[in-house]
Amino acid sequence: MKFASSAKFAAVVVTAALALTACGGGSTSSGGSGGTVGPVDGKGKKLSVLTGVNNQYSAQQKQWFTDIAAKFKAQTGADVEFETFASANDELTRIQTSVVSGQGPDIYSLGTTFTPTAFATKAFVTLSDDDWKKVGGKDKFNQAALGISGPDAQHQAGIPFVSRPFVMAYNKDILKAAGIDKPATSWDELATQAKKMTDPSTGTFGLATGYKDNFDPWKFIWAMSVQAGNPLVDGKTLKLDDPAVKKAYETYFGWLTKDKVVDPASIGWSNSNAVAAFASGKAGYLMMTTSSSLPTLDKSAVAGKYAYTAMPTTAPGQSSPKGDGANAASILSGDNVVVADYSKQKDLAFAYINLITSKDEQLNYQKIFGDLPANAEALKSLDNPALKPVADTAAKSKATPFTGAWGDIQLALTNVVVQSIPDLSKGSVDDSSLQARIKDAQSKGQASLDRASK
Amino acid sequence: MSTDSLTAGKPMRRKSSRDAKPGPQSQDNTSRRRKGLSERNRPLWMLIPGGLLMIIIIVVPLLLGIFMSGLDLDQYSLRKWVSAPFIGVQNFVEALTASPLLHAIWLSVSYSLLAMVVTIPLGIAGAVATQNAFKGRAVIRSIFLIPYVLPSFVVATVWRTMFQPGSVIDSLLHSVGIDAGLWLNGPNSYWTLILVQIWASWPFVYLLALSGLQSVDHEVHEASALDGALWWNKLRYVVFPYLKGPLSLAFLIGMLHHINNFTLPFVLFGIPAPSDVELLPILTYVTSFQSFRFGLSAAMAFISLILIAIPLFVYLRAVKLDDAETPGGKK
Repeated sequence: MKFASSAKFAAVVVTAALALTACGGGSTSSGGSGGTVGPVDGKGKKLSVLTGVNNQYSAQQKQWFTDIAAKFKAQTGADVEFETFASANDELTRIQTSVVSGQGPDIYSLGTTFTPTAFATKAFVTLSDDDWKKVGGKDKFNQAALGISGPDAQHQAGIPFVSRPFVMAYNKDILKAAGIDKPATSWDELATQAKKMTDPSTGTFGLATGYKDNFDPWKFIWAMSVQAGNPLVDGKTLKLDDPAVKKAYETYFGWLTKDKVVDPASIGWSNSNAVAAFASGKAGYLMMTTSSSLPTLDKSAVAGKYAYTAMPTTAPGQSSPKGDGANAASILSGDNVVVADYSKQKDLAFAYINLITSKDEQLNYQKIFGDLPANAEALKSLDNPALKPVADTAAKSKATPFTGAWGDIQLALTNVVVQSIPDLSKGSVDDSSLQARIKDAQSKGQASLDRASK
Repeated sequence: MSTDSLTAGKPMRRKSSRDAKPGPQSQDNTSRRRKGLSERNRPLWMLIPGGLLMIIIIVVPLLLGIFMSGLDLDQYSLRKWVSAPFIGVQNFVEALTASPLLHAIWLSVSYSLLAMVVTIPLGIAGAVATQNAFKGRAVIRSIFLIPYVLPSFVVATVWRTMFQPGSVIDSLLHSVGIDAGLWLNGPNSYWTLILVQIWASWPFVYLLALSGLQSVDHEVHEASALDGALWWNKLRYVVFPYLKGPLSLAFLIGMLHHINNFTLPFVLFGIPAPSDVELLPILTYVTSFQSFRFGLSAAMAFISLILIAIPLFVYLRAVKLDDAETPGGKK
């Protein structure tokens, strides 16, 4: 008896421990949002849309939800219910729950780099020609933005909603004071210019970037590698062990260790810290930013003194872009919307997407949030001169490899930077440990790629 | 054992001498009968609702988790996950040989233990210090509880901000001539985690210690004072035995909580985590929700469960927390 009760208690403790461990803290609330169980009555339907929360403009976003829902109701008689996720991880959890349970939101908004992973789950509608017509035809979109909608032109699930190409911003005054008449177009030139602008005595640095950012680091490595002719993924082979990748890391770390053109504190910065540093007028270039920084910068100390331009497209140590390099000024970035395969009101979902990708709505969205339209006509009609270079970059963006393994590869690329941060803070990353970390990333990424092509 | 006779023995003796009339034998008889009766007619069916809930919330997910650990489940097979290929123990082999699982378990357990070892004396000290009434005690007690009341996310965010390179803590240390280097990455990060964990969780020990102190009878204090015990002897032989139960419980719950703590390291260090703080929950999380290897991560969770359950079971037997005869351990 005594043993039995103690065994029971132990069993409870043990199972509770497993339950907790298995959860790993991720909240897996089942998404029974009832998006699919609306009454069949044509007018009484309710469309459920999952989209990322916009922390920067949260009040505006709420307003936009109300406005667009009213417009949609006027058009179709159906209601729209918005749900937001706070982070990419949050979004993943929601998608996984819905994929497994076969219920949840009708429409998801996905970041471009996440689209391949989502596509791999086969849980979203691959659009037929008919479906494309329902959202207003393929031609209405900026064709470059379709580059990461699916593995090929016949199999596309992601419908472009907004473009958010990565550019750099530069402080015109600081560039001028350093005698620089035109922003750099190669990474080598960028470092040279940054050195001229750096003056530790005034706390001014040539570049502002965040080494601790969860996403920025891999984008630099990707860009520099692609521009050197190595697209990282070649069919079933991952090529992180290519010298171009190592050179990219060396250049990226070199800004801090050799050139000393970034604030030493930036090893703890995320992108928003870098924006703040640039906004206070303490940096010549703000790297890896998007047009969504525009509303912030326009209210800051550098208002009227800054401009956007494309990031360099000539790889470190090269004199001109190789391969597709000239078209790799940025990853193809922005948001796609996808329709869930389990949705019982797909036509309604397409009607909603047609509305939000219409020219007027896209221009309206751009004004409020800064993101560029994915609608081709709307993109052409942009008249803000500050956005011209950003719009140009949208056309010079290159899609990251379309494979379900990309998430892992991205993580492995970032991990090299994360594990190098202690070395960075000491002032140098030694060659052998960098090599070992890249090798580790290569084997992890390759394993993931092997699973993808199985 | 002498402590037992000192604490529990005294009131007993007094009581038995007062109730000497019915005789010890008859008292023994009635108590045995009552016990036998209650064991036979216990309304066990009343446990059904709770039992059902436990099956749904604990047993079913546990079995599902074990089932998943045998599947090759990833984003390609997630949609029809029940029919994902069964690969036997391959996930377990991969978890043990080709993943940082063992390192993660070592980090998790050692950090939890270190944090517990520090929080227990802190908690006791806090409880003893606020045991006797003094002016402003209520305020102090409330202040002590602040870390416990704050959400983990907030605690981690605040500490992360303070530990940023060149932020408050760095400049503070710099002013006294110490350059400690990075806090949120590299070898220091392990100690950062322990420090923040201690800060956040010591009030829990404090609360349980306080409840233990409340249960010390006034007479016991008096009796020991009459026996001429001074503060240390009183603390060591009178008060501590009362705390054994609550503190064993605090240790157990605290360890489990620390080992499973996800929010704190996740917010403090982000993902991918620096290798010095790649804890168990973080590793499981990354494996399932970044790499989508659900089968592998289920295997990891299961292995860690077993590795943690063994010492846990030994501990449970040792402190007799699970012994129904002496609820809450021994006084």
